[in-house]
Amino acid sequence: MSRHVPESGLALYVSGDLGWWSRAAARMHLNGCESCRKRMEAYRIDRQRLRESAAEMPEDVDWDRLAAEMTANIRVGLAAGECVAPRSRKPAPLGWRPAAVMAGAAVLMAGAWWLNTPPMQTQALGRAMRAIWQGRGAMPRIGIEERGPVVSASSSGIELRENGSALAVSQGTARPVAVSVSMQGSASARYVDADTGQVTITSVYVQ
Amino acid sequence: MSSRLTISFLAIALAAGAQTLSRKIELPKDSPVTLVSADWGESSATPRGGAFLVDVHAGLSLRNSSQRRIRGVTLAVVAQEVTPGGKGSVSVPSLDVAPGDTFPVRIDLPLLRPLGAGAGPLVEVQLDGVLFDDLNFYGPDKLHSRRTMTVWELEARRDRRYFKTLLETAGREGLQKEMLASLARQADRPQPGVQMVRGRATNTDPEREVQFAFLHFPESPVQPTDGMARIAGNEARAPRLEVRNLSDRPIRHLEIGWIVEDQQGREFLAASVPADLNLAPGRSSQVFEDAALRFDQRTSIQGMTGFVSSVEFADGSYWIPSRSALEDPKLRRLAPPSPEEQRLAQIYRKKGLAALVEELKKF
Repeated sequence: MSRHVPESGLALYVSGDLGWWSRAAARMHLNGCESCRKRMEAYRIDRQRLRESAAEMPEDVDWDRLAAEMTANIRVGLAAGECVAPRSRKPAPLGWRPAAVMAGAAVLMAGAWWLNTPPMQTQALGRAMRAIWQGRGAMPRIGIEERGPVVSASSSGIELRENGSALAVSQGTARPVAVSVSMQGSASARYVDADTGQVTITSVYVQ
Repeated sequence: MSSRLTISFLAIALAAGAQTLSRKIELPKDSPVTLVSADWGESSATPRGGAFLVDVHAGLSLRNSSQRRIRGVTLAVVAQEVTPGGKGSVSVPSLDVAPGDTFPVRIDLPLLRPLGAGAGPLVEVQLDGVLFDDLNFYGPDKLHSRRTMTVWELEARRDRRYFKTLLETAGREGLQKEMLASLARQADRPQPGVQMVRGRATNTDPEREVQFAFLHFPESPVQPTDGMARIAGNEARAPRLEVRNLSDRPIRHLEIGWIVEDQQGREFLAASVPADLNLAPGRSSQVFEDAALRFDQRTSIQGMTGFVSSVEFADGSYWIPSRSALEDPKLRRLAPPSPEEQRLAQIYRKKGLAALVEELKKF
C-alpha cells in the first residue's frame, strides 16, 4: 500500500488543483485507503458548505465598489501610519552647478582670508577654536601682539609689529650697540659708525 | 615648476608694485641747519595690503647755518602722522659741528602709509630739534627731542670730563685700561629680547604683584619709595611707582630704569618708565604706566629693581646720575654707556689711543 495522502494534498485534490500525476496517484491511494477517503470526504463537505454560505450574500453586492472602498481604506491607513512614524528625509538632489558655485565661493573666501587676514589673527582664531573644541572654560591667553601695535627690541635691533606685519629697523649688516624700550610707546636702536664713531639713534613709535 | 612660476610671478608683481619714493625734506626758513645734499639710494614704496611700505634709506648732508656749535639733531621721518608705524625719528647726539661745517645724517627707517592717505609726498623729513653747545634748543619738539638730546649732552659732558680727568691723573695707560674695560662691558652687557604694548590685557594667566627694589643714589633729587608691577609668567605690566621729591625745586619730568631678574638670577635692563608730573619740593607722587612688557617664553620674572635715571626740573634744568653713582656693580653691568662713551670707545678701537686723546682735547 502506498503512503497516505497529506492533508494539503487532500485539500488540493478536492478543489481540483492537484497536478495530473499527483491526482492519479492520490485517486489510486484513496481507492484502497478508508481513512484517507474519510478525510477527503470531510474536505469535500467543508468546501460545499463554504459555497453555500457564499451563495447567501446579497444579490446586489457591487464587488467593484467594495474593492475600491477597501483599497481606499488601505491608503488611509498607510497615510495615518506615515503621520505617526518618524519621517525619513529624502536627500534633495544637488545639481553640479550649485555645487560648483559654492566651491568657487569657498575658494574665493579662503583666498581673501589668506591675502588679507594677518597671520597673528588667524593663529589667534585657531587657538580660540581649539579652546572651544577642547571645552576649556576660560578664554585662551591673549598674545601680546593681539592687543595692538607692539614695539620690540633685541640685540639684533628694533621693530614695530602690528596685525602680523613687522617693520624692522635695519642699517644693512650693522648691528645696534644698544637698544631700549620706553613704556610710553617707543623703541630705539643705537648705531655707531665704524669709521667715524658717529652715533645715530633710530626710534619707532606705537602712537 | 609651478612653484618657480609662482615665485617669478610674485617677483614681477612686486617689482611692478614698487615705485620710486616721492619725498620731501621740510626745514623751516629760520632753521639752523640747511640741506646740502640728499641721496635717497634704495628708498622705495611697495604696496602691502591696504598700505604702502615706505622703506627709507637716505643719506643727508646738513650744514650748520647758525652761529653756534651744534651738539645734536633730531629729524622726524613721517609717512603718516597718526598711523602706528607711520612715523619714526633719527637722532644724532654727541656732535660738535662748528658754524658753517657740514655733517652727515643717515636715515634707515621702514614706515607704513595707508593707501589713499591723501596727496603729497609719501614720506617727509622734518626737523624736530637742534641742540646747541649752550644747551639752547631750536625746533618744534613734537617728539620731545629737547629732553632726550639734553640728557645725552649732559651724559656726554660727564663722561668726557671723566675720561679727561682719568687721562690727567692716570695717564694714557689709565685711559687705555678704562677704554678696554668699557669695550668689555659693552660686549658682555645682556640684551635679551623684550616686547612692549600699550594698554591693558583683558585676560591673561593668573597674576601676582611683585614689589620693586630700588637703587638709591645719594645725590638724587628724587627718591623712589615704593613700587609694584603685575607679573604673569614672562609678562610684567602696569608698573606703579611712588616717588618723593627730595630737592628744593619742582620737578616736571623723570625717568626710571626698570631692571628685571629671571628665575636663574640673571638681570637685564628691560625698559624705562618716563613720567610727566608736577612734583613740588618735599611732595610725593605716583608714576603709573598702563603698558606691558613680555620677555622670552622661558623667562620667569622673579624680581625687579628700579633706579632714577634722569630728572627734569620745572626751571628747565636737569639731573643725571654721576659717574660715581654708575659705579654701582649692578648698573655698571646692566646700564648702557652713554652715546658719547660709545663714540669715544669706537674711536679708540678704530684709530687707537692717540686719536682718542686728540678727540678728548678738542672740547
